[in-house]
Amino acid sequence: MILIRCPYCGELRTEDELTYGGEANIARPAETVSDEAWTDYLFMRTNPKGIHQEQWCCSAGCGQWFKVVRDTVSHRILDVWKFEEVSQAAEEVA
Amino acid sequence: MTTHGYRLPSGGRIDRTRTIAFEFNGRRLSGHPGDTLASALMANGVDIIGRSFKYRRPRGLYGAGVEDPNSMVAVRDAYGYEPALRAGQVRLGDGMQAWSVRGWPSAVFDVGGGVQLVSGLLNAGFYYKTFKWPSWSWFEPWIRRATGFGCPQAVDENRKVHHRHATYDVLIVGGGPAGLATARSLIGSGLRVFLAEDQPQLGGSLNWEAALIDGQSGSAWAASMARTLAEDSHTTILTSTTVTGAYENDHFVLVQSFWDDRGVHTECLWKLRAHHVVLATGMIERPLLFPDNDRPGIMLSGTVRRMINEFGVAPARRMAIYTNNDSGYLTALAAYRAGMAIAAVVDTRSAEAAMHATLSKEMGIPCLFDAQIQATAGYRRLATITVRQVSAVTKIACDGLAVSGGFSPCVHLAGHRGSKPVYDPTCGAFVPGDVPERWHVVGGVKATLDLSATFADAGAVAHTIRAGRGGLGSAHSPRVDVLSLGTGAIPTQPSVGSSSRMWVDFQNDVKASDIELAAREGYVAIEHLKRYTTLGMGTDQGRTSNVVGLSLLAALTNRTLSEVGTTTFRPPYTAIRLGTIANARRGDLFKPRRLFPTHGVHENRSAVFEDFGWERPDWYRSNANEREAAVALEMAAVRNHVGVFDASSLGKIEVTGPDAAKFLSRFYVSNLMTLKPERVRYSVMLKEDGVIFDDGVVSCLSDNHFLASPTSGNAEAVAAWFERWRQTEWPTMQVAISPVTANWTSIALAGPLARALLARLQPDFDISNDAFPHMQIREGTVGGVSARVARISFTGELQFEVSVQARYASSLLSTVLTAEGDLEPRPVGLEAWLRLRLEKGYLHVGSDTNGRTTPLDIGMGGIVAKRQDDFIGKRSLKLAFATSSEREQLVGLRALDGSLEVGGRILSRGHTQVPCPTEGYVTSACFSPSVGESIGLALIQRGHTRDGEVVKVFCGGTPISCRISNPIFYDPTNQRLQA
Ligand SMILES: [Zn+2]
Repeated sequence: MILIRCPYCGELRTEDELTYGGEANIARPAETVSDEAWTDYLFMRTNPKGIHQEQWCCSAGCGQWFKVVRDTVSHRILDVWKFEEVSQAAEEVA
Repeated sequence: MTTHGYRLPSGGRIDRTRTIAFEFNGRRLSGHPGDTLASALMANGVDIIGRSFKYRRPRGLYGAGVEDPNSMVAVRDAYGYEPALRAGQVRLGDGMQAWSVRGWPSAVFDVGGGVQLVSGLLNAGFYYKTFKWPSWSWFEPWIRRATGFGCPQAVDENRKVHHRHATYDVLIVGGGPAGLATARSLIGSGLRVFLAEDQPQLGGSLNWEAALIDGQSGSAWAASMARTLAEDSHTTILTSTTVTGAYENDHFVLVQSFWDDRGVHTECLWKLRAHHVVLATGMIERPLLFPDNDRPGIMLSGTVRRMINEFGVAPARRMAIYTNNDSGYLTALAAYRAGMAIAAVVDTRSAEAAMHATLSKEMGIPCLFDAQIQATAGYRRLATITVRQVSAVTKIACDGLAVSGGFSPCVHLAGHRGSKPVYDPTCGAFVPGDVPERWHVVGGVKATLDLSATFADAGAVAHTIRAGRGGLGSAHSPRVDVLSLGTGAIPTQPSVGSSSRMWVDFQNDVKASDIELAAREGYVAIEHLKRYTTLGMGTDQGRTSNVVGLSLLAALTNRTLSEVGTTTFRPPYTAIRLGTIANARRGDLFKPRRLFPTHGVHENRSAVFEDFGWERPDWYRSNANEREAAVALEMAAVRNHVGVFDASSLGKIEVTGPDAAKFLSRFYVSNLMTLKPERVRYSVMLKEDGVIFDDGVVSCLSDNHFLASPTSGNAEAVAAWFERWRQTEWPTMQVAISPVTANWTSIALAGPLARALLARLQPDFDISNDAFPHMQIREGTVGGVSARVARISFTGELQFEVSVQARYASSLLSTVLTAEGDLEPRPVGLEAWLRLRLEKGYLHVGSDTNGRTTPLDIGMGGIVAKRQDDFIGKRSLKLAFATSSEREQLVGLRALDGSLEVGGRILSRGHTQVPCPTEGYVTSACFSPSVGESIGLALIQRGHTRDGEVVKVFCGGTPISCRISNPIFYDPTNQRLQA
């Protein structure tokens, strides 16, 4: 079971106290984009084997959404940061 | 029945002073405390425990514990019933009843035994091939009746269950010599250590192997270790506890069983985290492949030693041993010391390689080298083996055969964490490869056969763990004098003989010939082989058979075992009772009941409740004793005078702040920027894919203060949806979201006399039709308390929804229902309410919409077209899927003959009989008293263009005729709700 420390309330939360929100940093396009760009936004995800930036919510705690860098193979949490912050680890991966 | 197994006059860890009575397949038998069901059956001479899965071969005990692929039994003890356990897993209890799970009508005389004659039909890929040709349906009834692992019984369990959560510094999995020595060396380190052992007592193989440690027997040493550890305040020891799964972040699931003389009375499911993990799970013996290697009487070599030394049971009168490694000689010695007759040791190796051969020779045990078993014979039980050597073929009479093909480490838990086992050719075994951080592997699980080496290993691991915590405590180094298991065994290729008589996976009846066939047909990837042949599937998970099957496939495809690899290990290691996982979450405790604040008032009116997430009145016995009559009266009340409906579960989300209108507009199809104070607007909201997610009204209380009313079922989801977008996409918007559903109670007054009823509550504002028109909201005082009153309608009648703080709810509802005079307000339940809305053609999200329905499909295309700015899901409505002319669209249906039913399929044009293609279905239906017809809503392809068309709808088992119509059946010009 995945453990993540919420960057807002500071509590170490277990997976069942959290809500997974899928891949992070998916930009919502304007409604003027092509059908293809829109359906990419709707459905296409990187789905990597390895380092993945994703959204989680401290849903049974403080209710805040935050971002996480997780290794999808080992489930190791490499970084956790608030929406208004920038992740050092995420920068390095990018 | 002839008896082969028997109780030895002495030995074992059983309590011979007491006798336990039990039943097997209706026969009354007895055993002793300390027995497992397996050892007790063996002591009673029971040869056949069940029939095999596909070919109905008679099968006997093969292994002493969970590794046994054969001895599946259903067991009833004093506390419950389990349909599929291995006999070796079950501690014998007084009055216990056990049955063979395969074999009908009985395991010994099995009508399905004829399957052996047609066994050619059931080879590898049988299911896949049968699905394609000739026809699965030919085989299905026969297969379904003949296969399976026992039947569940719907009985109340008396077993207690509880769950525990814990965190420890060190988890040691396995209480054999490796685990005990590691735990002993961690004493004094200050670390909190948790040791889990799946057997009832610590010691593992020391309980039956002939070892001498620190001058005492292995079992005595284990007992003294157990005492030392029990005295240590930092060490927790759990026996009868299986670690069933390892998960990320070193989270483990353990199942602890509590036994007494009558069975398992309690199970505890542990969810445990550990910083360090010591894997000391040991290993399981492998079989050898030879023709008819599955006859009752043939079993694993170590099982024979265990039966003799732990349970005081001789598995046979005259034992032979077949081995490719030194451990077979330990079995010969154990049997010899127990006074059993030994027919021969058959060794696949040459004389020079067999290190214990001289020992056996000195005791007069015949040893055959460079030898293979080429045949076995016996009716219902082994009687002879035929051994082939270079220059001779010998037939040997024996009723038991101990088999050892080497050892397979129990690497499963590391595998659960994605650690791939690697093949070590020097010891002939798959050992854990790269294990997760802070995992340590000790003893048999890394194929260490030598006890001194295991103890040295345990000391080193304990040292590493201690070093990370300041290095307190000291190593403990037991002195060992033990007959070693010798060297590891390279998996041996099958002996001579027909591969279609050699069983690899006993539980799934997979033969060497099946693996050959799969390889010929190209199923050479190990995961494909598994699924094609069913090798290693089911509850057995190939504990004994995997490596045997892998080495066969490797030889057939000229690859090494490393190249072939293993299949994926998944939790759980052994089956867990579903009741143990469920714990208290069953029956009335499955989830909390949510009661309205007014629940008692509804009870006083004899409401019949249904659980819709909330306990809601479905109808009222105070109206009529029978549901249909009550619903009719409740509907009539709303249509003719006034009905009172508790709408408290309706979602209520307050959205406040300067950007509130702009924020809400981004969620709804309708523009809410133009919504003025005291006004209410109905709309739907979509997900980004354009599909309808929810509907409801939004009220503007003041410029910066809105109230959204999602449906009851989505109240929480919509609030979470709003909050997610606010935080993650639009963090700069000045808006606050407050879900207040449970803070308010809403009572709807509906009907021509609704205004008169509201007037009785003396609102401090004008409620006349001119001052307070339809689709508006007022805040004020009603019945002496502050209230919000919305004039909206779900029924098509004049309707006021009065919301007050939850604590005033009962008082308000009672006051309304007891209004005196000619009003005669009636309580109205959910069923009447939904039929009233159906008469009016109002859709019910989730019933009249599905996971594909867009606002264009429900007639809201005009509103969508008017929107200039963006909203969630808008762009998807321009995609080809949404604009297709073939879409199912919501329409009304009127039955011309028969009655409409929810789920009834609309037959495609030109068809009058089923089976035929269909083009939609009925989403809501009822008989409408107001219209006097059976009416419904339906999603029908191109429905909006087909008004007036007569279609056939399959209802009540027959196609009926219906006319497609406007969905508003009642008061289509909205005269009544404007009144
Ligand atoms: Zn938090």
